[in-house]
Amino acid sequence: MSKVTDPDAALMLRVKRGERAAFEELVEKYKQPVMNLVFRTVRDLTEAEDLTQHVFLQVFKSAHRYEVSAKFSTWLFTIARNLCLNELRRRSRHPADSLDEPAPDHEDQPLRQVEDAKTFTPPEALLHGELEEKIDAALAELPEKQRTAILLCREGELSYEDIAKVLACSLSATKSLIHRGRETLKQKLKPYLATGAWRGSPD
Amino acid sequence: MNESEYQYWRETGWRRPLHADEEARLQSYLASHPEARTDWESEVGLSQWLGQLPDAPLPSNFTAQVLQAVDREEAAARRRVSLGERWAQLVRRAVPRLAWACVILALAILGIRQHQIYTHDKMAKGLIQVTEAADLKDPAVFKDFEAILRLGQMPPPADVELDVALNELSK
Repeated sequence: MSKVTDPDAALMLRVKRGERAAFEELVEKYKQPVMNLVFRTVRDLTEAEDLTQHVFLQVFKSAHRYEVSAKFSTWLFTIARNLCLNELRRRSRHPADSLDEPAPDHEDQPLRQVEDAKTFTPPEALLHGELEEKIDAALAELPEKQRTAILLCREGELSYEDIAKVLACSLSATKSLIHRGRETLKQKLKPYLATGAWRGSPD
Repeated sequence: MNESEYQYWRETGWRRPLHADEEARLQSYLASHPEARTDWESEVGLSQWLGQLPDAPLPSNFTAQVLQAVDREEAAARRRVSLGERWAQLVRRAVPRLAWACVILALAILGIRQHQIYTHDKMAKGLIQVTEAADLKDPAVFKDFEAILRLGQMPPPADVELDVALNELSK
C-alpha cells in the first residue's frame, strides 16, 4: 500500500473506515475556509451555513468510495463549488427573497444578526467597514470562476494546480482567471488603493 | 531579474506575502523598473485587503450540527435498509401464497371456461336441431300420416275378415 502524504487524505481514509473522530477533525479544520467560499458565492448567511453543512455531509456520505487521487482539500472544495453552483442554478430557476432581508414586522432589522467578533474604534471601523463592503461588492460582481479562483487563492490552502483541478481548467487558464479577476478588482477599488488605505488597515 | 521573474513574484504574492529575500530581489527589480512600482503596490494592497476580509460567521456549535446531520442521515439510511428488508421478507412470504392463489385462480378460470364451452356446445346443438326443424315440409303433409305409416304394415283383422267374406260371396 502506498504511503499517503496528505495528512487530510489519511484522515479521510480513517473516516472511510468509520472513525467519527477523524471526520470531526476534518470538519473542525475546514469548516471556516469552506464557509468563506460558500458565503462569498451565495451571499446569504443561512443558505451558506446550510450548504457548508451539506458539503461535509456529502463528504461523509462519499467516504466509502473515497480514493486518494488528489489532495483532500481539492476534493472538498470541488464538492463545495459544485453545491454552490447547484444552488445558484436553483436560485435562477426559482428566484426567492433572501433570508437576510428585513422581516416585515421588524423592518429595520435583518432576520438574522451575527455579532462581529472584531472591534474597531469608530473611524477605523467606518473605513474598514466601507472597504470590506466595496471588496465584497466587487468580488460579487466577478464571474463565478474568477471569484472562486481568487477566493481559493486567498485561502492559501491550495496550490495553483489544485485550484485548476477544482475549477476543472488548465493551470494557465487558472492563472489567467486570477489575473483578470484581480485586474477587475483593482479597477473597481482604484480610489481606495490610490489612498494607500490598505497600509493602515488593522491586522 | 526579468519580466517573467517579476510575473513569478507577482503570482507568488497572490497567494502569500513574499519572504524577506524575495522582497529584496523584487525591490531591486522595482528600482530599475520604476514603471512597475505602481502595479506592484496595487497588487500588494489588493492582496492585503483580500487577506483581511473577515471570515464568514459560523455558529460555535457548527461541528456538532454537522455530526447531528450525519447521525440523522445514518438513521435514515438504516430505515431505508430495514424498509427494504421488510419488503423483501414480505415478498418472500407472499410468493408461495401468491403462487397457490394463482394456481387456484387458474383452475377456477379453466373450470368456468370449460363450463362455458359445454353450455355453448349444448346451445349450438339445440340451435342446429331447431334449424333442421325449420327446414321440414308443411305440417298439412302429415294429415294422413297415420294411414300412410300403416300402409306397409299387416292389414288389420277387420280388413282380413272382410276380405274373406267377400271372397266367399264371389264364389
